[in-house]
Amino acid sequence: MDNGTLVTLISVGVTFLFMLGVPVFLVIAYWVIGCSFVLGLTLDNMGAEILNVFNKGFALLAMPLFILTGDLINKSGIARRLSDFAYACLGWLRGGLAMASLGACGLFAAISGSNSATTATIGSMLHPEMVKGGYDERFSAATAAAGGTVGIIIPPSIIFIVYGFLMNLPISDLFVAGILPGALMVIGMQLACWIICRMNGWGYLIPLQFNRVLKTAFGAWLGFFAIGLVLWGIYTGKFSPTEAAGVTVGFCIIAGLLSWLISRLMRQDPNRTWEEKSYGEMLVVEGFTLWQVPGITMRSAEITGILAPLIAISVVMQQILSLLGAQQVIGDFVTSMGGYYAVLFTAMVIVFFSGMVLESLPVTIILAPILAPIAAGVGVDPIHFAVIFLVGASIGFITPPYGLNLYVASGVTGVPYFRLLRYTVPYLVALISVWIFVSLTPEVALFLLPER
Amino acid sequence: MEIWSDLSALISALGSQDSWTIRQALVPNTTYVFGAVFLAISGFLLAWIYHHVPVIERYFERTVMVTCYLATAGIIFWGVIDRFVFSNQQPWSTTIPPFLFMIMALFGGAYNIRMRTHLSFSEFRTAMPRKAQFACLMLDFILWFVFALILLVTTLRVVALSASNFQIVLGTDNTMQWWFLLSAPIAATLMAARAVENIQDDVSNLRSGKPLLKQAVIGGDV
Repeated sequence: MDNGTLVTLISVGVTFLFMLGVPVFLVIAYWVIGCSFVLGLTLDNMGAEILNVFNKGFALLAMPLFILTGDLINKSGIARRLSDFAYACLGWLRGGLAMASLGACGLFAAISGSNSATTATIGSMLHPEMVKGGYDERFSAATAAAGGTVGIIIPPSIIFIVYGFLMNLPISDLFVAGILPGALMVIGMQLACWIICRMNGWGYLIPLQFNRVLKTAFGAWLGFFAIGLVLWGIYTGKFSPTEAAGVTVGFCIIAGLLSWLISRLMRQDPNRTWEEKSYGEMLVVEGFTLWQVPGITMRSAEITGILAPLIAISVVMQQILSLLGAQQVIGDFVTSMGGYYAVLFTAMVIVFFSGMVLESLPVTIILAPILAPIAAGVGVDPIHFAVIFLVGASIGFITPPYGLNLYVASGVTGVPYFRLLRYTVPYLVALISVWIFVSLTPEVALFLLPER
Repeated sequence: MEIWSDLSALISALGSQDSWTIRQALVPNTTYVFGAVFLAISGFLLAWIYHHVPVIERYFERTVMVTCYLATAGIIFWGVIDRFVFSNQQPWSTTIPPFLFMIMALFGGAYNIRMRTHLSFSEFRTAMPRKAQFACLMLDFILWFVFALILLVTTLRVVALSASNFQIVLGTDNTMQWWFLLSAPIAATLMAARAVENIQDDVSNLRSGKPLLKQAVIGGDV
């Protein structure tokens, strides 16, 4: 048997393992092991490379730190304040709570960098209220799942960090390029949400009150400060994305600890509504104690313990793919499609279908080094292509069979996986429309980067 | 007989405590055989300790992970403060954190085996009959164990190579890289132990008629 047949057999074998429910990490690892034997490579490369990914990558450190930021703002009550503000702004529209949920996802994503953390946090916070507010529970769960996709596009973003790390692109530029497309994704999903809610008559309307908007905005000041801190630091180049993540973690811990202390000194009742609270009381959030910090950190560590080894093994897989000549084969196929738009859309189709069956990190690690040079070859700006690629990868979070956000939303809302699929369709249509618009309009991604 | 000569070479190399000799002794492929025996013994031994000392079972990996996580964040946070406020920055503040991240990630990998929270597509498995589910769990065990073996042997070689080359962590005077890299083979051992623990639970569940598959919740144990 020739090498090609053997590699095909190995690929079919690991796909079978995947269908049997074997962890994705092992599926990739055994593909790497099998192909290493076929190519006559020593397995030592795998062990060495797994370690290299970590200890040679300061940039990758931003990933665990932004995950931790997400958990800290959730536990401190800052995320709740952001969602209150979003609801105060949008509650007067039909489907306002669902739209606020998407807006809260956008705000949460601007501090955290994780899609699943966004879905889990906003879903667990707003799903019960949406169900109480007369929304279909399947739609509510689908909204949380779809909202989470912006978690990795609006900066800071874990996947932009991985992309920049792999492709040697400035992560700060990638972050800035993600701002407008991320905002467009939120607006696109909100529009889809509004249409669905109007058609079904879901949700209760609350009057738009200036005092409520102002007070909840005041209450969310810590969140806005954190967002400003991250964006200011990265945009002005005062610190690197990893340092921005470290600073945000430090800020959230200090804010959480001080808030807990002040709220106890002020004898605040966390159950009081915004109307009962004074502006002074809105200044501080619930916070957490020093003893709660390890517990909060542990949750982030658990997520990092899933994602980081997956990144490491995917990097090794990418190397094996290069040795197998996959880069050449896919490259030839994509290049044969023709010029600028043909290459762009072929790359998008590949990313979309890969996102359906693979987690976004392996998709990025495996496909980005293959597709990005081809796109650059036909004149697509590397930063623009990164945004196109990653918006596509983020859509993969809500495409079955392997849509991570669908699993997370199902887990936090209790709505079975297959039942919420139907209601993700309008969001998918909205996201794909935004994706096509972003790909056809480089200015959307590059507008805030005038020097490019 | 080659296997015995390789074994004696490895034992004498370990006894010599000379990194170059150890590195040479780890090169033959028979190291995988020793690794398998070592992992089987240490895996079952650790699983036994976990069973009898629940504090270790519950807190060992968690403590290492949380400590490394907070130390990483603390060093980077302080690095920025140090630069802006005191116009100073420790040279190791960007080189030590990646090693701490590595330790956290590898120990986290082992911990998630126990929690069964590694990402997977479990729709078909959930719908399978009980015996098929058990077969899948057994398959998971074998795959984790073999992976742990490969990780153990390959990373031990990296550790020995690093030690024999006297690789120092950049920005420090005398902190050796292999001190940190050693966490990888240790994590591989923990992975094997967690896989053993899981399969012991699965066998017990099969015999007692309890459900074999449970919904894994990330952060559910925190």
